[in-house]
Amino acid sequence: MTRKGLLNEFKDMEKVLLKNIENPNSADINEYKKAGGYSSLPKALERQPKEIIEEVKKAGLRGRGGAGFPVAMKWTFASADPKFPKYLLCNADEGEPGTFKDRPILEKNPHLLIEGMAISGYALGAEYGYIYLRGEYPEAKNILNRAIKQANDNGFLGDNILGKGIKFHLAVHQGAGAYICGEETALIESLEGDKGQPRIKPPFPVNVGVFAKPTVVNNVETLSNIPYIIEIGGDAYSKIGTTDCPGPKLYCVSGHVEKPGVYELPMGTILRDIIYTHCGGIKGGKKLKAVIPGGATTPVLPPDKIDCPMDFVNMPKHGSMLGSGAVIVMDESVCLVKVCYRILKFLEHESCGKCTPCREGTGWLRNILGRVESGEGIEGDIDLMLSVSGNMMGKTFCPLGDGAASVVQNFIKHFRPEFEEHIKNAKCRFK
Amino acid sequence: MTIQDKTMITININGNEIKLEKPVTVLEAARSAGIKIPTLCYHEQLEKYGGCRLCLVEVEKIPRLQTACTLMVTDGMVVRTETPQIADVRRGILEFLLINHPLDCPYCDKAGECELQDLVEKYGPAKGRYKEKKRKAPESLEDPVIVRNMERCIMCTRCVRMCEGVQGASAIAVIDRGGHSHVEPFSGGKYDCEYCGNCVSVCPVGAIMSRLHRHSYRPWQVKEKTETICPYCGVGCTVVAQVRDDSIKRVIPKIGSPVNNGMLCSRGRFGYEFVGSSERLTSPMIKKNGVLEQATWEEAISLTAKRLGEIKNKYGGSSIAGIASPRCTNEDNYVFQKFMRIALGTNNIDSAARTGYAGTQTFIENIFGQGATANIIAGLSNSDSVLVIGGDPTTINPILGLQIRACSRKGGNILAIGHIKGLEKFNPLTVSPRFYTETVLLEGLVSALKNKKGLSGSIPVLEAKIKDINTSAKEVENRCGIAEKDFIRFTDTLSESLTPAIVLGKDIVQSSGGSYKLMLISAINYLMNARIYLLCERANEQGLLDMGCAPDLLPGYRPLAFAEFRKRYENAWKSPISEKPGLSIFEMVDSAKSNALKAMYIMGENPVFNLPNSKAVTAALKNVDFIVVQDIFLTETGKLADVVFPALSWAEKDGTFTNMERRIQRLRKAVNREGMEDWRIISEVSKNMGVKLNYSGAEEIFQEISRISPLHRDLTYEEIEKGDAIYPYKGEPLRGVMEDIQMHKGSSVNPDGKLYLRLERPLFHSGTLSTKAPALVKIYPEAVASISPSIGEALSLKSGDMVKVSTRTGSLELPVNIDNKLDNLSVMLTNNFENKGAFSLMEYTIDPVTKAPVIDANEVKLEKSVRLDSEVRA
Ligand SMILES: Cc1cc2nc3c(=O)[nH]c(=O)nc-3n(C[C@H](O)[C@H](O)[C@H](O)COP(=O)(O)O)c2cc1C
Ligand code: SF4
Ligand code: SF4
Ligand code: SF4
Ligand code: SF4
Ligand code: FES
Repeated sequence: MTRKGLLNEFKDMEKVLLKNIENPNSADINEYKKAGGYSSLPKALERQPKEIIEEVKKAGLRGRGGAGFPVAMKWTFASADPKFPKYLLCNADEGEPGTFKDRPILEKNPHLLIEGMAISGYALGAEYGYIYLRGEYPEAKNILNRAIKQANDNGFLGDNILGKGIKFHLAVHQGAGAYICGEETALIESLEGDKGQPRIKPPFPVNVGVFAKPTVVNNVETLSNIPYIIEIGGDAYSKIGTTDCPGPKLYCVSGHVEKPGVYELPMGTILRDIIYTHCGGIKGGKKLKAVIPGGATTPVLPPDKIDCPMDFVNMPKHGSMLGSGAVIVMDESVCLVKVCYRILKFLEHESCGKCTPCREGTGWLRNILGRVESGEGIEGDIDLMLSVSGNMMGKTFCPLGDGAASVVQNFIKHFRPEFEEHIKNAKCRFK
Repeated sequence: MTIQDKTMITININGNEIKLEKPVTVLEAARSAGIKIPTLCYHEQLEKYGGCRLCLVEVEKIPRLQTACTLMVTDGMVVRTETPQIADVRRGILEFLLINHPLDCPYCDKAGECELQDLVEKYGPAKGRYKEKKRKAPESLEDPVIVRNMERCIMCTRCVRMCEGVQGASAIAVIDRGGHSHVEPFSGGKYDCEYCGNCVSVCPVGAIMSRLHRHSYRPWQVKEKTETICPYCGVGCTVVAQVRDDSIKRVIPKIGSPVNNGMLCSRGRFGYEFVGSSERLTSPMIKKNGVLEQATWEEAISLTAKRLGEIKNKYGGSSIAGIASPRCTNEDNYVFQKFMRIALGTNNIDSAARTGYAGTQTFIENIFGQGATANIIAGLSNSDSVLVIGGDPTTINPILGLQIRACSRKGGNILAIGHIKGLEKFNPLTVSPRFYTETVLLEGLVSALKNKKGLSGSIPVLEAKIKDINTSAKEVENRCGIAEKDFIRFTDTLSESLTPAIVLGKDIVQSSGGSYKLMLISAINYLMNARIYLLCERANEQGLLDMGCAPDLLPGYRPLAFAEFRKRYENAWKSPISEKPGLSIFEMVDSAKSNALKAMYIMGENPVFNLPNSKAVTAALKNVDFIVVQDIFLTETGKLADVVFPALSWAEKDGTFTNMERRIQRLRKAVNREGMEDWRIISEVSKNMGVKLNYSGAEEIFQEISRISPLHRDLTYEEIEKGDAIYPYKGEPLRGVMEDIQMHKGSSVNPDGKLYLRLERPLFHSGTLSTKAPALVKIYPEAVASISPSIGEALSLKSGDMVKVSTRTGSLELPVNIDNKLDNLSVMLTNNFENKGAFSLMEYTIDPVTKAPVIDANEVKLEKSVRLDSEVRA
């Protein structure tokens, strides 16, 4: 994967999450401190935990893992639960295809995350934290472990943080490569040593989470916003981005653009601007064919539907979702039936198997897509796919299965002629 | 609004208002109102799962469809379960379940009782739209008892949740994920688990099934379904025997039954095949010139009556002894003791309960009052701590063991003295004293609890003993090798418990100083205010005692010593009863040895095998002039008999059993077989001796019992069948005042560098009966000598090697089993397999108080030997 975009050249906003990452030693605690790091933690410890939650509430911070759930609300539930101890889990599973936005934080700015977790832990009354790290990020594991050790040595973590008698321990747990373990309850199961499968909700993790204790699960990017909120205050933070979804956002752009990479931009940046202004447009001047705006399971958009503000509230109004902010850009050379097939193949492989519609439906859809793509599709296959995905949609245990159904439905919705052509001509013209 | 109204919840399902007292799921609410919602992954015994999605319903104000099996009802909820949308959903889900399903119903044993088949018939899609190849998974016949057909699996995980969450064996798991998911034992193809088969009972389809009845019948062909009681152990599980053409095809549990609520152990589920064994005795036999020959019933009965009469006349009734059976019904045992007492004029009647259960019960109930050990099994799981001593409950009384596991799951503390294998996954707090220092540990516990809890004054005789006991934690550390801090943690946990229970196995009473240890355990029980459970190996061990099959007890557990009770029975039976207490089973052996005993009547027991020191018992029995044996198989004891009667087995007769909690339950005839019940044979013999013991059937016998026994007063079969026969019924337990506690400290053993033979009480066997059940034999095929890895290493033995196991009384060649949970002093051997029983190598002494055999000091030698090819089982 190209790192080009990591070095963001656009200065329209002060970098918060990617601050200082041009510095080759940015992961070192001293560099982090030099750049102003670990100044929010002492400030936070001067205040009451409740005030911190209040500040996050004012900031209007929403979770960056995909669902956009208000962070302060989740924290309030967990901190209100009398059970003890409480846990803070950082979701660093980053498994959604096309997503690589958490990676620069994990690898280049780990102390930002650690500082964010230490503050969040204090706010919640959690004494233990885990970073559940994607199995395919071995480098990040070493970097995080080194950073955690440094933070411990410097009194930012441990039994007596900054001499204030506050306790917060942090450890990295590496997953084994299952996408479903990014779903928060499957993550918890996995962390407990069980097979990664989602749990029944309610009870929600905020009440009965890991080891049956109150647990908050937040995404890497979410937690990395916390030091900045403490630094500038919730009110000031809420002025960044859109009113419903304030703050900076990492967009990771891949595919046929001139400059793919991770871009830190205000929440709500228009998708077309991300592609054409920030990423330099379509590679080689080719024609844009389709964009998946928020990771492989979010609804695909045709070129005429990309004038939408990329945030949690506006994207659904424009027929898609912000998801993880992973923008996948496809030019005219791409066979969309094949793309759809590849996504379903991924989801079939990653289906945990707990619920019937997803376990059986993903495979069935992949089967049909496979034959259509290879020119062996038959009359009625498109309607069959719509019917099968309809039988899945809204009936699965967790969003993965719905996502699979939605992928098929949206590809057919926007690009039906391309599917029909495959069947009619009994071949794929992109081959 | 009254307080009660506040806690009531109302839910509207399909227009019906349903009022509920406590929060339940939508599914439970619907079922309570008779509204059917189809389900597959839901099972009332299991934790909620929500995976199959078949039970999706519409709920007002919730945009997404909801699974009825997981959604908790909230007040005012409005639910619809039968809408066109829901019908589509069900059809869709069933279609998904079928696309990879082989649809081999014509071949599948489950057809006819398959939940998937039934649902598809009702809600399923009309025709298939899936054109691709189905997933393939070959039938797995790697296991001797359980067959897997993973193509049929619908991934409901009911089996896994059963195995892990209820059975507590955690032997199987869903392997792989997505469409590749399948259920597999951790051990691979063969199960190597507890073989309870409870996973089989909850599987909704034909994916995991018992091999015992494979392709032998269709569910709809078993018209006869008889609810009866498991013949094996003292738990007394309700079982349903499914019969076709007078052959048991399958034994299954019943959800809602009081003792086992839908669960069974391997013996109960897979151990029934002995009933149809070709080795069953079919005709009476009489010994002629040292050889048993077939005879008619008339010949055998009249010969028996004649010989017993002669011997009685010549030597008196006290020269005759009877052994009763814990495998026979209350009715059989009642008639037997009555026969011994009035036809033969002797109290010489006892049973193998004397090997521990009887003595332990008497000892404890003398202190705490009759019925002190009659505690409800299901209540164990609600204890906040369970102390386990003297045996592994999960193998001796497996269903009781499940309650201990459930207790742990609910957050209770499991405390164990010595390693308890079946509880090791449940994080027991264990203290393991060095060999022969258990007494010191128990004294230490009594001392510690005395100091923490103080004495209440309610049982002075026991307190007098407790006052004398002062063993410090330091002493326990020095002598038992238990670190002081571990001991303190153990006693702290015990003393903090509010609703403790003690589960006591036979190893205690069968060890040196058994009665003294029982006093110490009684003291612990007293100081903790605990309930005590006595593990009980045979189905009707309790019942035979209640029926008066003991040398010093009359029916109703009434002491013979009290003239008042004798009078009562004399009046009822219109016959005098000897006031002289009879011989215990071991005294019978001694009496036989000294030629004093002239005749024995043995009903459904195999003393030659089931008493320690078989060689001596055999020699003694050979001295007896006339032996009658009633049994279903020709046992080692039967071979010594002069007359052998074939008896009807548990499945072939009516009657009652009394379980370890003293619940009386109905045994029902499931299979027709020619022959007579044990009581009927006895009554025929008695009639021939001129003493009428006539009954039309088991119920009439029970009516007599309930007429005369003060304990069973007014009890009827009808009440028993309703499940109302819970101790003390409508009767009166006896409350006596004890003057002093008799006990015996035993001799101490110094185990320096020696090995000792110990009795293994296995899960898969019970007496020799289970060795006639092929399925159980497949699971546990032969007697093995289990030793620790370091003993193995010292003798360069590995599992499967042959070893010669010798004691002072003899030796056996046995295959070795290396068990890394064993200590370095013990050689473990079962007493189940013919000619390979541990008792054949054991000598015993008798504890003067409990009259139980002490068998814990049998030194043993091991020598490596070579296994001949001809001995290797195919
Ligand atoms: C199939 C699936 C995969 C997910 N993968 C991730 C992931 O890789 N990283 C992540 O942060 N959240 C992931 N989520 C979302 C989490 O369940 C959860 O909403 C998130 O961690 C909450 O953190 P946030 O509130 O900070 O966004 C996933 C959800 C689903 C259903
Ligand atoms: S939708 Fe069902 S099968 Fe798919 S990942 Fe979620 S729980 Fe597992
Ligand atoms: S037979 Fe019992 S122990 Fe074995 S897998 Fe099934 S449930 Fe588990
Ligand atoms: S084997 Fe049976 S019980 Fe187990 S998951 Fe499959 S269908 Fe369900
Ligand atoms: S052997 Fe005991 S525990 Fe097992 S099924 Fe029979 S009665 Fe129940
Ligand atoms: S029965 Fe409710 S989801 Fe399976």
